[in-house]
Amino acid sequence: MSSVLQQASVTAPSTGSTREIALTGVAKTYPLKRGASVTALAGIDLEIADGEFVALLGPSGCGKSTVLRIVAGLEQPSTGTVSVGGASPQALSKAHRLGVAFQEHSLLPWLTVRQNITLPYKVAGRPVDTAHVRELIDLVGLGGFEDARPKHLSGGMRQRASIARALVLDPDVLLLDEPFGALDAVTRRRMNKELARIWAELRITTLLVTHDVDEAVLLADRVVVMTGRPGRIRHIEGIDLPLREHTELTRSPEFHEIVDRLTGMLETTKAA
Amino acid sequence: MSSRLRTAVYGVAGVVVLLVIAQIIGTTGLLGPTWPPITEVAAFLFDPSNHRLLGNALAATVSEAALGGLIGIVAGIGFALIAALLPLLAPGLDRFAALIDAVPAIALAPFLILVFGREGTPVIIVALSVTFIIYISTSSGLDSAGRPYRDLFSVLGARRAVRLGRVDVPAALPKLFDGLTLAAPAMILGATIGEWFGARRGLGVLFVSAMQNYRIELLWSAAVLAVLCSLIVYGAALLAQRAVVRRFA
Repeated sequence: MSSVLQQASVTAPSTGSTREIALTGVAKTYPLKRGASVTALAGIDLEIADGEFVALLGPSGCGKSTVLRIVAGLEQPSTGTVSVGGASPQALSKAHRLGVAFQEHSLLPWLTVRQNITLPYKVAGRPVDTAHVRELIDLVGLGGFEDARPKHLSGGMRQRASIARALVLDPDVLLLDEPFGALDAVTRRRMNKELARIWAELRITTLLVTHDVDEAVLLADRVVVMTGRPGRIRHIEGIDLPLREHTELTRSPEFHEIVDRLTGMLETTKAA
Repeated sequence: MSSRLRTAVYGVAGVVVLLVIAQIIGTTGLLGPTWPPITEVAAFLFDPSNHRLLGNALAATVSEAALGGLIGIVAGIGFALIAALLPLLAPGLDRFAALIDAVPAIALAPFLILVFGREGTPVIIVALSVTFIIYISTSSGLDSAGRPYRDLFSVLGARRAVRLGRVDVPAALPKLFDGLTLAAPAMILGATIGEWFGARRGLGVLFVSAMQNYRIELLWSAAVLAVLCSLIVYGAALLAQRAVVRRFA
């Protein structure tokens, strides 16, 4: 595991790129029939620093996934600019420097776990670093399941494989779109703790989209609360809790104070 | 397993019932002298003195079906890949394929005979119908991977050809093999029809000459061989299709 750490820290500076994400005045409108349009996002200003973990929290339909898709270069903002490491999101993905784990694991069903995790090397046309893949499989706790097909894995294991695939090229930026959304509460919390442990080792600039308040507070350095229709940023909460991978954290009063306050914001959002 | 066994028993029972009914119609002469008892057809099929005639015809039809089928599969997959890589051409190819399929083989026959000759025509008729089936099934298969995979490959920075090779083609295989199970009977059918237009050998030739010479057992034997051939090719395609679905879906 320490060599995963080393590799990340060696690769990142050698590219010479800064790895922060900046959205400035981003809005997104979708055209409807007869010249009408719907505004999904309005006036989104957000900066994520190099090595920072930011969670985007909001009710479903508030446009938080659209923000992530814009940062991933999968959609264009209608107005405003988005830059990742000083360049466009498309430039980042073309350079194979972007890691994304989607809500649907999107593992290829005809490939084994190991083949799925090595897929980014193949797509980038790079030689496969088998030792690195091996370490990553251990890091996400899938040792012994390398040769299994996705359909033979549990939902949690598939998401771990999907996260390992997102991490395998040591990306500059990691985007997580409700990666645990389809899991039951217990598995989800366990996955949160594992992600916190993995992230503590790698410290990649990360944007997590979630509607789970506990998950956001548990994992992120800052939690960005969004309101819906049109999607706007309502509040940004800096989280300064010690030992986030610690099991006791979720029972601490500080943790619950933040969770309750942010939950309250989501509820007033829904009422509005 | 027991439900599988039951299905098999029902299948065999159905075939036996049909054969018995056909036999009764033949022996009682219910539908006239052109419907012989099935036992007479079987006797004709098993008579060694007829094997050369039937064997030559069968070999000719099967080789035409195989050659035409191969051309059709390669062309159908090729056109589908072209349509996937060059979306500009896709609507044109779709319409051209539909047009070719809408024109009946009978209407094309004089033209085909002039261009490809009497021996080439069955092959071309098979190739045309197989191309259409494989083109449609492969095209829809190449389109079936879904948005999550597309998003994945675009964030991985994959070029179009890489996505095609790594996702679209493997995801298309189950539908391509669906198409093959449809194409399998069309191969034997196309070859037989193609032979009606004056080929020298083949089951189609036997049909024509047996009808004209009132050789009822020969006519029925040729029909039985054509049906068996179709079933065998279909069965093989179905087995392959199931294996592919297990692996790729």
